Amino acid sequence: MPGFLIPGYHRLPETKGYLGMKVLVCIKQVADSSDTLQIDERTGHLACAANTAFRMNRFDEFALEEALLIKEKLSGTLVHALSVGPERVSAASQRAMGMGADHGIHILDSADGYMSPFTLASLIAACVRARNYDLIMTGVMAEDTMACQTGQLIAALLDLPCATSVIKEEVQPERGEITVEREIEGGSRETVVLKMPAVLTIQPGINFPRYPSFSKVMRARTYAQELIRAEDLAIEEPREFCRRVRIPDAASEGVILEGSPREKAQMLINILHEKSLLS
Amino acid sequence: MENPVIYMIAELRMGCITQETYELVRFARVIGKGKKPVFLLLGKNIEEQAQEISRKTGCEVIALTGNHLEHYNVLSYAHSLMEILQEEAAAWVCLPHTSMGYDLAPRLAVLLKAACVTGVESAGEGSLSRPIYSGKFTEEIVPKTARVVVTVLPGAFRPCEETAGRAGSVKVMKAAFIEAPSQTLGVAESAHRDSALKDAEVIVSAGRGIAKKENTALIKRLAAIFPRSAVGASRSACDLGWFERKHQIGTTGQTVSPRLYIACGISGAFQHVSGMRGAQTIVAINTDKHAPIFQVAHYGVVEDLETFIPVLIEATNRTLLSR
Repeated sequence: MPGFLIPGYHRLPETKGYLGMKVLVCIKQVADSSDTLQIDERTGHLACAANTAFRMNRFDEFALEEALLIKEKLSGTLVHALSVGPERVSAASQRAMGMGADHGIHILDSADGYMSPFTLASLIAACVRARNYDLIMTGVMAEDTMACQTGQLIAALLDLPCATSVIKEEVQPERGEITVEREIEGGSRETVVLKMPAVLTIQPGINFPRYPSFSKVMRARTYAQELIRAEDLAIEEPREFCRRVRIPDAASEGVILEGSPREKAQMLINILHEKSLLS
Repeated sequence: MENPVIYMIAELRMGCITQETYELVRFARVIGKGKKPVFLLLGKNIEEQAQEISRKTGCEVIALTGNHLEHYNVLSYAHSLMEILQEEAAAWVCLPHTSMGYDLAPRLAVLLKAACVTGVESAGEGSLSRPIYSGKFTEEIVPKTARVVVTVLPGAFRPCEETAGRAGSVKVMKAAFIEAPSQTLGVAESAHRDSALKDAEVIVSAGRGIAKKENTALIKRLAAIFPRSAVGASRSACDLGWFERKHQIGTTGQTVSPRLYIACGISGAFQHVSGMRGAQTIVAINTDKHAPIFQVAHYGVVEDLETFIPVLIEATNRTLLSR
């Protein structure tokens, strides 16, 4: 049977009085706006225009903020930020350090094409397997690919318990546990207790992510990130591939109103009036 | 190769079978090539629900029961499911893309050495299509493994019609207990219910696209021109602190079906759309003419709402006066 029952290879520090933890936050860099992306007809995949700006995935900002809040509460806690991708993604962990992370790890993968969630999670799992993190956190999903898989896959690959859509957490370091509330459908909340080490995917709205501070940004600039080459990490073959990206099938039978703002407003009013939605 | 078995993982919410569970049947029909799909249901006292699924769908149902399965927990569920799933060398495992489905699917995929494709909205020609970039693009994913785990977007397929034929067989099995390193203690209902949204005939709703908190006043002014109206908001507008949680519409907020829904600056990701697609008339106002919200809107206005809403309010007042 699967061996996820005994996550035995990590342990909390045993030093008396020391409650600090090692927390890893996985951060994805995404295109700032999909407006600069286009389908390359030749390859069938998305291509970024030269002026594409990149930023931190918003969902991961909430994960990083939550890790920093834990660090503020539990002295001695270290927060590491990890990103996977080409050279440009080092800006993501640099921003993370500007927000207060202690260390940045960049898994350099120069092939800037489709990467399945499984391959991504395999790289992260292979990189952090022996690093004894007590908590691994990431956003509930990435804004671009919307898969909701990375955190869960990392947990499964490392045989760790995992909770997704976490909207509240409370660490009990002395018991080696973390209690979380998962936000589920209709805003209901499911309470789960996890033994650490554990993986959490963080729901937006759990906190208000801070802005990077100037002094921390300056310090981060002088700080060398840890660089790991993806090809040096042993991972399994991808289990799925992306055949192509396309424009969605137009299912809409809706009408786009044309004209000046005034004309559109009048058209809309007439429509609503006809439907007795406006007296 | 023999046709793979198609397993569908049923979902209970407050003891009731969810609509998303029945939507899996149509997805299974699209990918299935002749093999009758099998439902797997987990819980504590679930025989009645198992009978209901078999009666409504005509599918075979295997119910896995145990005290430790009373609440959903990824590790206990995965452990129990693996007893059945690992028997087949080739199989599809389908789950709804819900807080249970996307939580469980990757775990099952790793245990089964399966491809995992989540948030799928359609299938065909050997690939699974899923929206990316909030629905602006669609990617086609091809699984390369004999076992495939899929989560299906709520609302992408209609629930199956009730079968007039024979009910499927129901098998109840005791699931083995495991001591898992995580435990689900229970579920508490949302404290953020707003009956104003439920009762409203008209809902004017705002998303991140309204750009700044000051513009919430515009949304309120627009709502005020309609009788029996209420203000709604997308999840991200609430996360930014622009609206209170009780205004949130969508998967983790409220589901509404007013006579008129006006979506302002809402991109239209499925998490929001699944909470408002039941509205009779949907109007969308957005600067991005490619925004997915225009796919569900009956009437679309491509304008900046800071310009358009004041014009709309003024024109309404003028029209009302002249009538």
